Amino acid sequence: MNLAQSPLGRRDDLRAALAGYLLALADDELILGHRHSEWTGFAPDIESDVALSSVAQEEIGHALLFYERAGDLLGGTPDDLAYGRSPEAFRNAVLLERPNGDWDFSIMRMFLYDRADAVRLDGLVGGPVEPLADLAKTLRREEKYHLLYGEQWLRRLAATPESKQRVQAVLDSAWAEAQGLFDPVEGQDDLVHTGVVRTGSDAQRRLWHGQVGAILESAGLRAPGAVAGRAAAFDGRVGRHTDDLRVLLEEMTSVRRTEPGAKW
Amino acid sequence: MPALMELLRMTQPQASRIFAVFRQDTKNDPHVHVGEVHATDAEMALVLAKEQFARREPCVNLWVVPMSAIAATAYDDADVFEPSTDKSYRFGGSYREQERVMRTKRRDQR
Repeated sequence: MNLAQSPLGRRDDLRAALAGYLLALADDELILGHRHSEWTGFAPDIESDVALSSVAQEEIGHALLFYERAGDLLGGTPDDLAYGRSPEAFRNAVLLERPNGDWDFSIMRMFLYDRADAVRLDGLVGGPVEPLADLAKTLRREEKYHLLYGEQWLRRLAATPESKQRVQAVLDSAWAEAQGLFDPVEGQDDLVHTGVVRTGSDAQRRLWHGQVGAILESAGLRAPGAVAGRAAAFDGRVGRHTDDLRVLLEEMTSVRRTEPGAKW
Repeated sequence: MPALMELLRMTQPQASRIFAVFRQDTKNDPHVHVGEVHATDAEMALVLAKEQFARREPCVNLWVVPMSAIAATAYDDADVFEPSTDKSYRFGGSYREQERVMRTKRRDQR
């Protein structure tokens, strides 16, 4: 069903906010999916390489589904939205555009993100916009494996003294930007008031903090405390990105730009 | 009966980090050995086996077993499987054919 025909999609005051929220979901999945795909051929063992490559495909597949719904409201094909926008039009959290770094950072980021994504999907399931509620429910099935993969790898990395120290260090360094996963898009409060999204961004952050904290603790790691004030320099949800996103998009769109409009 | 790892000339630490993977296509099928994964432990082996062996084929259940836990016959002793007199009356060809048909049916009913 086309979202533009749904009762909430027809409301002018909510349209832009809903489109922005869907773009944030889609951009998060696309950008992290792209980062995951950069591990193909380079992961520490072939099994983890194959598995993470599958996860990358799935995240990009989820992005496609959200772009389709966003396209209902904004016009444009998923390809236009994925490949045709400038960096400031992207709504992904800054954490996800950061280069992969070492395996420990990539796994930590995956763990922190997939937990946030789970909380966010839970907030859509059972909501009044049926196509979105159904979509979220479907995606949770694949996300279950992403949660498992990230968490189990994290536990293995935290199992020996040296690697535990390194994982703790990447956790501490990623923590502030991880909070940005819950920065709201413009108009997100209106989506909460109308029940489209069942939990507000602060409530989602608290839920996530509780879940992530419990797992980190059981793995012998310390969740850093609350971060006072938002890091104001960058906020992906309003389009203030780091240069890392520009570099990423330049590479990701390079093939398409060689022959714009080509059919595959 | 020799341990499989001895036959493969593997050490115990090596063999305990390779897991044989058994996949079950439907609840009515037996678990079938489909390959191996390297992993630090059984839990991780299951996580990795899911993507290596269950992403192109139907699957309802996976087993993993450390290679260090498997006992095996040796290929040098393969002649024990060779009959000395004609035992063709025992060969269950039709059972195998029946199994092949039933298997396809079970898959289609999934």
